[in-house]
Amino acid sequence: MNSPYLRRRITNALAMLLSTLATLVGLAFLAWILWETLRRGISALDLKLFTKITAYGEDGGLANAMVGSLIINFIGIAIATPIGVLAGTWLAEYANRTKLGESIRFLNDILLSAPSIVMGLFVYTIIVLPSTALTHGSTSFSGFAGGVALALIALPVIVRTTDEMLRLVPSTLREAALSLGVPQWKLTLQILIRAARSGIITGVLLALARISGETAPLLFTAFGNNYMAINPIEKMSSLPQIIYQYANDPGDAMHALAWAGAFVITMFVLLLSLGSRLILSRTKVSHD
Amino acid sequence: MTDSAIATNPTPVVAAAAVSPKLTVRDLHFYYNGFHALKGIDMDIPEKQVTAIIGPSGCGKSTLLRIFNRIYAIYPKLEAKGSIELDGENILDPGYSMNRLRSKVGMVFQKPVPFPMTIFENVAYGIRHHEKLSKADMENRVEQALRSSALWDEVKDKLKQNALGLSGGQQQRLCIARAIALKPEVLLLDEPTSALDPIATGRIEQLVEELKSQFTIVIVTHNMQQAARVSDLTAFMYLGEMIEFDQTEKIFTKPSKKQTEDYITGRFG
Repeated sequence: MNSPYLRRRITNALAMLLSTLATLVGLAFLAWILWETLRRGISALDLKLFTKITAYGEDGGLANAMVGSLIINFIGIAIATPIGVLAGTWLAEYANRTKLGESIRFLNDILLSAPSIVMGLFVYTIIVLPSTALTHGSTSFSGFAGGVALALIALPVIVRTTDEMLRLVPSTLREAALSLGVPQWKLTLQILIRAARSGIITGVLLALARISGETAPLLFTAFGNNYMAINPIEKMSSLPQIIYQYANDPGDAMHALAWAGAFVITMFVLLLSLGSRLILSRTKVSHD
Repeated sequence: MTDSAIATNPTPVVAAAAVSPKLTVRDLHFYYNGFHALKGIDMDIPEKQVTAIIGPSGCGKSTLLRIFNRIYAIYPKLEAKGSIELDGENILDPGYSMNRLRSKVGMVFQKPVPFPMTIFENVAYGIRHHEKLSKADMENRVEQALRSSALWDEVKDKLKQNALGLSGGQQQRLCIARAIALKPEVLLLDEPTSALDPIATGRIEQLVEELKSQFTIVIVTHNMQQAARVSDLTAFMYLGEMIEFDQTEKIFTKPSKKQTEDYITGRFG
């Protein structure tokens, strides 16, 4: 065996070893997080967790927080998805390689990394304070305000993925459609969005995963509620906010409830990520 | 390269004099962001014949083809000057409707690009934009287009399946079906077989032969044997200029320009 080949083999083995180690470290932490939340929350993981509300304290469950989380996340995604997909489409198809487009793409990237508590304070100022003044205090904090704060966090994620997925569609597809005389808007809506569909859906699911763990933007907006609230103009509880609250409580039973809540959120996010993976891989195989 | 070899604006040769020109190109210049890519092209493309454009990479052959349906106009900073008359009307005139132009001049690209929809919808999609047809008429039109592109027998039982499941050669024939379904007068083929294997290439070449009774065909190709096999006329381009344009037989047997001879005999350089 002459030396250049030997050296390449050694380098190859070394690179393989290091990247495998790095992967194992990442996976180990993920497994550890899952294990710890399960171990510490297992005593509270029962039917009561899903049926009883937080008003009962350590004898209660997290039903109102789970329902609240679902409603607030739904409002957030329902607001962010249409705006985000349209804005991403505009960036990729109408403003690509223009100065305005580049500046907006840059601003969106800044928004993407903006601290989430800033979003909470912003929504507190533009929605919570004015609604308190208008209704003389009968409506102040609300699930809706929480949803808007989460929408502001989800929005740049959706804009970014839509923009990127559309720019991955080969320009030959655009040329082929335009050479049939099809106008730009039909091309965009009927062909490009369809070609990039699975990527865009994945982006929305990832945005949902991102916002479902957010706590800070909800503290000043949805606030929290120990009772079951369905109406979005009422104060609303959410899983991250309850985890934060219970973790600060001295009682062991409350801690167990918080861990159980953490386990539920983590599993939810894990399943969302797996779901988006599934969508991507399935569409790759069937070329759908 | 010698000075004598550099020809400027040779007189356009219309070999088949009996056939009227479908496309008349006069003093056509093209600029990519300031770069002078086509330098005064003159050319008469006869109706219902196959005209091949050959030349080394970067000579401007694809650029020329992409002006015939103004597809270049979707990108910024590209500019065409001069005139291209289609049946006597200048298609470079800003008043010439893009919709009308593209329903008259169809195009097939280098790589097959089916739309992400069913085989049937791929063909019906363009028709639907230009005409309102009943369901039965539409089915007829799609079948007719697929038969003309020699694809019908292979796909008639799976029209509802996604077009991306077809082989590369089938996808390219589907793209041809999609283009001819609009009943264009001119069909532009931009290196249509460069991504295909020899068998699929053979089928496309045979198809070009069959389609020329209905359409005026302009084909850009890297492959000189292909130009010799399928075309009636051949244009040789070099560095943005039309060096020689004549009957294919003459170009490949006794070209009048030394540069053409050097290129077709592989002594170019």
